[in-house]
Amino acid sequence: MEELNCETVFTLPVVGGISESVVVTWIIMAVLVLLSIILTRNLRVENPGKIQLALEAGISWAQDFFEGVIGKESRRYSPYLITVLLYLAAANTLAPLCGFKPPTKDLNVTAALAIMSMCLIEFSGIRKNGVVHWMKHFAQPIPVVAPITVLEIVIRPLSLCMRLFGNMLAGFVVLELLKFFVPLIVPIPVSFYFDIFDGLLQAYVFVFLTALFMTEEME
Amino acid sequence: MISIDLNLVWTIINLVVLYLLLRHFLIGPVMNIMDQRKQMIEDGFKNAQAAQDDANRLKQEYETALSGAKQESVQLIEDARKNAKAEYDRIVNEAGEKADTMLESAKENVRAEREQTMKELKSQIAGLAAASAAKVIGRNADEKESRDLYDQFLKEAGEGDDDADR
Repeated sequence: MEELNCETVFTLPVVGGISESVVVTWIIMAVLVLLSIILTRNLRVENPGKIQLALEAGISWAQDFFEGVIGKESRRYSPYLITVLLYLAAANTLAPLCGFKPPTKDLNVTAALAIMSMCLIEFSGIRKNGVVHWMKHFAQPIPVVAPITVLEIVIRPLSLCMRLFGNMLAGFVVLELLKFFVPLIVPIPVSFYFDIFDGLLQAYVFVFLTALFMTEEME
Repeated sequence: MISIDLNLVWTIINLVVLYLLLRHFLIGPVMNIMDQRKQMIEDGFKNAQAAQDDANRLKQEYETALSGAKQESVQLIEDARKNAKAEYDRIVNEAGEKADTMLESAKENVRAEREQTMKELKSQIAGLAAASAAKVIGRNADEKESRDLYDQFLKEAGEGDDDADR
């Protein structure tokens, strides 16, 4: 059972305990930023190298994907969504493959992601249509549903948070149990499924749903 | 396991920092490069279009100039031909006139010469006739009478001569 706990790695004098997930997040951040700096070192307009082409293909795929969901006029949100996608992909797959516990197994991390998504969803709606329209849209289509639509503000990020947390925790638990009972060979394909496939899928689902809710809010 | 604490705040800060860093180091440069390339390609297309328009315009101009030159050359040839014809006609006419004049003068000369000859002949014939008449008569008749006789003779002879001359 101690595997499931998020241990406190160290304790700072003022801010208190820093948990494992935050440290792993730092590592992921460092890796992502370093990779970005290394990969974008020699960008050229003409005759791009293979690495640059791959990079451009990836970024433009993500950009097109988010533009397709939230619309071309809202493309300024796509860098954040790309960031979250990269972070979640790294956290869900690289971290367990490199021996860390996935930070998304910690409710604090998924809650933080969900809170940021919530802020982004509501902010995009207010920015697009103004505060008055944002206040009025709770009473759509009929005023009776207002309590439910107000609740939606919380329900949507909560579902995002819990879906990600539940998936990652369940995958982690299943894998730990399997490793405990059958430590040889069998965990490999299962790990591929839970860590890589499910991890990437959950990262995709998280940003896709965030973008979808933003579109809904911006209508 | 399921507990919310201050780490949530740290994670939010981490995410914001990661967002800013990635936007600055990854997404910004890559998008910038792609925009630049897009711009370059658009510029290239625009330039190509402009060059093609230019070429078409020049071609039009050349074609106009060429057809103008063709017309001009046709005109020139036509003019030259006309001039040559006029000159030819003039020369031929001149030559004809000259030939006519020459023929006329030659005829005149011939006539004058013949008249001269005729006159000489007449006087000789008159002399001869007078001499032969004197011989035939055997005497020198009256001067006046004989002259009338000559003249009469000459007139008759002249009329016969004129008939022969025609």
